[in-house]
Amino acid sequence: MAIANINADDQKLLDQLVSHYLTNQSLIKAFLDSIHAHIAEAMIEPRALSKLVHSIKRRMKDPSHLKDKLLRKLLEARESGEEFDITEDNLLLRINDLGGYRILHLHTQQMEEIHNALLELLDVAQCDLFEPPFANIWDEESRAYFEGIGINTAVNPRLYSSVHYVIKPRSKMQVTYEIQVRTLADEIWGEIDHKINYPYPHESLSCREQIKALARVASSCSRLVDSIVASHQDWEDEQKAKRLAAH
Amino acid sequence: MDPNTTSSRGRALRIAVFNHKGGVGKTTLNVNIAAALASLGKKILLVDSDPQCNLTAYLIEEAVVDDLLDTSDSADGGRTVWSAVKPVVDATGNIRIIEPIERLSNVFILPGDIRLSEFEQELSPMWSECFQRKPKGFRGTTAISHLVDSVASAYDIDFVFYDAGPNIGPLNRVLLLDCDYFIVPAACDLFSIRALKTLGHTLLNWINEWKTIVELAPTNVHLLPGLPKFLGYIPQRFRVYGGDVASSYAKYLPRIERGISSDLVTVLRRLNPILAPFSGSASELGQVKDFGTIATASQTQGEPMKDVNAGAPEQRAEAEQVFLEIAKKIITRTSPDIAAAAKK
Repeated sequence: MAIANINADDQKLLDQLVSHYLTNQSLIKAFLDSIHAHIAEAMIEPRALSKLVHSIKRRMKDPSHLKDKLLRKLLEARESGEEFDITEDNLLLRINDLGGYRILHLHTQQMEEIHNALLELLDVAQCDLFEPPFANIWDEESRAYFEGIGINTAVNPRLYSSVHYVIKPRSKMQVTYEIQVRTLADEIWGEIDHKINYPYPHESLSCREQIKALARVASSCSRLVDSIVASHQDWEDEQKAKRLAAH
Repeated sequence: MDPNTTSSRGRALRIAVFNHKGGVGKTTLNVNIAAALASLGKKILLVDSDPQCNLTAYLIEEAVVDDLLDTSDSADGGRTVWSAVKPVVDATGNIRIIEPIERLSNVFILPGDIRLSEFEQELSPMWSECFQRKPKGFRGTTAISHLVDSVASAYDIDFVFYDAGPNIGPLNRVLLLDCDYFIVPAACDLFSIRALKTLGHTLLNWINEWKTIVELAPTNVHLLPGLPKFLGYIPQRFRVYGGDVASSYAKYLPRIERGISSDLVTVLRRLNPILAPFSGSASELGQVKDFGTIATASQTQGEPMKDVNAGAPEQRAEAEQVFLEIAKKIITRTSPDIAAAAKK
């Protein structure tokens, strides 16, 4: 990784930004906790979300990862000849995953209901969408599904699959959060990819290729679950129709 | 008007005479300062926000108090502070505005209630709910503040005094954070001085926690101001012999002043200089000695010391003068120009 063109001023700015994050960390976490309180409550009540969601995860960003991320953004800006415009004033708005929330579910077709339940819940939790949610996809079938349920899509060349919501609490403090929603199989892929390719892509071609293969397997797995659930439903409907006919 | 969404704080200044060390004469001070301010033409609202109801018992006849407490729980007949906040506790609706009782001329009182301790219990989870950004937490936390908004503006009140119980519990937390100013009564004893340390740190924590809540708060909720400024302290209940403070008490006066300086003024100023506009030595509001018979009579007769039917006339005149001086200082120190100048 070329760090050669980073000067002392850049370094100082990055350190300042990370320290600004650390200063505000407990407040950022308090917001994350408040969002969690709402989601956790919806999970134990016999409402839509509890039947759809398998598990939830949340984390605060590791300061060293934040520094890496800011450095990457700074280098990207330099390379494309643009100004690096993240400051202490906009850091909490511009870096969406200082506090991160993740919702895991079993299969892709649940997304429509999860999407609707989540939008309702965010309103109760006094949060707005900061930008329209979008699904990271890499195949036509997924694009058709997500766009069909009103979620924008973006092609991810690394074969990452996950729906992202960037939200902003209605409050004095200006801060954004990212909620990721993905299937359990995609979570396996995500965790392995994070371990191997983060923050920089693995140097081994074989590792990189195997991870792509894993993405396809994970995607097939989620779809197979879709199919099994649909088949089971179909079978149940059939049985019901038979019982009705017998009466 | 929806009392839970409007934030018409009005012009009345809210003050708490506060020290979690009990027996320092808070209620006596409240009644006598209120009467002195009233004699200077001010309108006063006394809020008995202590579940022990000392202020209510002080100023209102026993039979009337009995009746107030018997009916305080009823849906529309209740007239105590508990009656006002009960719908919020029960989550059945907004606060219910109650009418104050005019007890002395231009001194109004919102009666206390033993059941305020139930409200106090609810205030702990409500505080947590504020951190979770839940509207119910904010409704409860600001319930008494809202009641005072409404009553103070309806009766054109100049000064509101919260009679706060001797503890650092969740009820006093919301009262102090609702106040513009607080006054610290200090008795001449070791524990009163020791209490100043806890007092300073407790206020610091409350103000800091509330600052966090303000950052987190949803934009549509009512908030407390959260900046109670130190208005001054009043050494209390020392004995005077032949015009001089008795030596056993006198030694405590400089110690109280030092404690106020180091444990309160310095601690508050470190957080925000506007919290302590007056230095430790400049902040004494007056000294209230043990007035003996007329102090006791004031409590039993429900009158300020200057008007009791007991003691010698000189004694009553002396008490009147002491509280008048305190009242004048309160008016001067809280007048906008002075308060602004003290900040500099």
